[in-house]
Amino acid sequence: MIHEVLARPAPAGAPAASGALAIRDLHKSFTIGGAPRTVLEGINLDIRPGEFVSIVGASGCGKSTLLRLIVGLDDDYRGEIRLDGERVSTTSLDRGIVFQDHRLFPWMTLEQNIELALLNTDVPKARRAQIVAEHIALVNLTGFEKAYPHQLSGGMAQRAAIARALVTEPKLLLLDEPLGALDALTRVRVQNELQRIWMTQRSTMLMVTHDVEEALYLGDRVVVMAPDPGRIRRIVEVDLPHPRDRAAPLLHRLKDEILAELTAAPSAPSNLVHLPGREVR
Amino acid sequence: MASAALPALAAPTMRRRAPLASFLAPVALLVLWQLLCLSGAFPPQVLVPPSEVARTLWQLAETGELQRHVGESMTRLALGFAIGALAGLAFGAAIALSRLAEVVFGPFFFAVWQVPVIAFVPMLVIFFGIDEQFKVAIVILAAFFPVALAAFDGIRGVPRAWFEVARVYRTRLPDLIWRILVPATLPAVVTGLRVALTRAWVVLIAAELLAADSGIGQMMEMGRQMFRIDVVLAGVVVSGVIGFLLDRGAKAIERRASRWRAA
Amino acid sequence: MNALLSRSWIRALIGLIAPGLFLIWWQMQAQAGGAHALAFAPLQSVGAAFVELAVRGSLFPDMASTLSRSLSGLAIGGTLGIALGVAMAIWRPLDRVLNPLLQAIRQVPLMGWLPLLGLWVGTGQGTELIVVSLSAFFPTLLNSFEGVAGVERRFVEVGQIYGFTPLQRFRLILLPAAMPLILTGLTQGLAFAWIASIASEILLGVGGGLGVTMQLAQMQQRIDIILVAILVTAALGFTINRLFLRLRQHLLRWQAPLR
Repeated sequence: MIHEVLARPAPAGAPAASGALAIRDLHKSFTIGGAPRTVLEGINLDIRPGEFVSIVGASGCGKSTLLRLIVGLDDDYRGEIRLDGERVSTTSLDRGIVFQDHRLFPWMTLEQNIELALLNTDVPKARRAQIVAEHIALVNLTGFEKAYPHQLSGGMAQRAAIARALVTEPKLLLLDEPLGALDALTRVRVQNELQRIWMTQRSTMLMVTHDVEEALYLGDRVVVMAPDPGRIRRIVEVDLPHPRDRAAPLLHRLKDEILAELTAAPSAPSNLVHLPGREVR
Repeated sequence: MASAALPALAAPTMRRRAPLASFLAPVALLVLWQLLCLSGAFPPQVLVPPSEVARTLWQLAETGELQRHVGESMTRLALGFAIGALAGLAFGAAIALSRLAEVVFGPFFFAVWQVPVIAFVPMLVIFFGIDEQFKVAIVILAAFFPVALAAFDGIRGVPRAWFEVARVYRTRLPDLIWRILVPATLPAVVTGLRVALTRAWVVLIAAELLAADSGIGQMMEMGRQMFRIDVVLAGVVVSGVIGFLLDRGAKAIERRASRWRAA
Repeated sequence: MNALLSRSWIRALIGLIAPGLFLIWWQMQAQAGGAHALAFAPLQSVGAAFVELAVRGSLFPDMASTLSRSLSGLAIGGTLGIALGVAMAIWRPLDRVLNPLLQAIRQVPLMGWLPLLGLWVGTGQGTELIVVSLSAFFPTLLNSFEGVAGVERRFVEVGQIYGFTPLQRFRLILLPAAMPLILTGLTQGLAFAWIASIASEILLGVGGGLGVTMQLAQMQQRIDIILVAILVTAALGFTINRLFLRLRQHLLRWQAPLR
């Protein structure tokens, strides 16, 4: 059933393997209280079609701003953002996004919420109900089609939001701390589901998170960002096949490394107390 | 979440208005009104220009008639509001603090509350005639209910946790009242007082239209009976300005009283 | 004591004490004679007046007139209020131009318009309807404006992402998001229209209605009829308000229930 969705031919004119994102010398600044403040500086990033890239960083490093620029909600930037060679200036059905707050419309049922994403596509009306049902099944929410968002748990609502973002089959799916508001156990479950969905869909995904473990578990690469102004500190390759084992030693070693990097003070204060027995990397 | 700080998310619900534009519109309206009248589109018994209304107001003020009407109305409002608000405050506090009082008087209070205050006018006229007593009584009624309800809601709305904090710190009763109960209920009560004041003003005007020998409402009604549209319009302007000032004054007090509350 | 008060039927019984005492006091005043006796109709005559009005009199036509006046006023004032409020929130220049004017009109006590309208359109049913419509207009206007102006940016962004047209944005996002406040405005408008109907009927005394009956009864010194009219006004007002809240709850069933 899901295969049928996936086998749906790509829109005419689009190359089969698409969803390549290229970011060149991206600068972004806001004016806050009359004073300009640089939020993103010199961002360069290439994402291959079908790749899963995670972005981690301290709060205020501009990672959410970066996603808003890529999705096209904000076109006031310097530099270039190109998806399959085309410059991003406004929103498009090629780029989907899942926000931290699920942003389902409270006045619509789950089904209606997902269907609204198809409103301005050229999918024939007769096919829409079926496609919506398939995507509800994809995120394991069959049976809740007529539920209003307030009747869903946090994890269910977030899965519904993922279904809504996927239903237009975007070349690039952006995930802005999609699991940030969930409790620890639900989070692990939805992470597993996200991995399964990505493996079946194989669309390009770019996820912002503040959870290093999550970033490593899902990402082919992890972009580590530094704040003030937001810039890329380093990019970590995670050379492990999917589906992954959470207990993989490589993931744990990389996690310790990235955490150490993120928590290290820019210039270590000299009076810092060193705990005995602590391994220095 | 970092994006919460983005200006793009914060801006749209804010209402900024250029002060110039807000003055421009009424002035333009007055000019339009004046021009319409000068053009002769309306006969003078239907609409007189603002200049005419201003002249009438001036004349009324010069003879002292305006001051007398305004004075009468304000005296009734002040007297009735003071009595009604105090009674409402006492009653609302009583049924909020005592469970017995709530059970005894609550149902009766909420039943009478269903009646629009204005519907008591014919009954009060039979009780008190159309004299001063009647108008003060209707203002008392109009003020009593909103204040009583606000006091009740305000006291009942004080979070239990605050009393628990007071117990943890072994706060003495006077301190409990002055430092917790009064500041916590003040915003709701002051809001109730403001609502009561505007309602009382509206009801008083209605009562004066019906039965009075003085007051702004009576001035307008007399103007109507003598086909003096300038006097009626002057009354509309004066009653509007008084209503505006009452509301503004009460709102200024309200803001002071609820400073601690987040906007 | 508190255990006793927690039983609902005991509470209801105690709740009857105050009105009961009041009625006894009233009856005593009515039978005592003297200067005030006229103002205190004995209870049996109030009952008789109720039967008289209900069976042979104008009670039901009165209820129908007042009700239809309120609802017509709500329909006119509410429709204008919603349309203008929504338009002003979507297109801010309109708000800038109209807001000062509307604020100025709003300051005048509602019944203060009666003498002016009396000169313009006469002291008939037309004036009553205008005042009732005006009373329903402002609460719906203000609430509709706040409702649309306060729609959360995050929902509008979802529409942007899925390429909504302006019409889709209005129909699928702005209107449903503003609906709770629009309905609040209509509920307030209904309450105001009800009060304004009674008030204008008392003041103008034309076109039939509970207020007109009160006014006539006052001139005939019939306190019993006035009391019947007051009781019916309260009961009817309470009922339509309840029905309206039910309707509101049904329309807003997508909202999480409180508590």
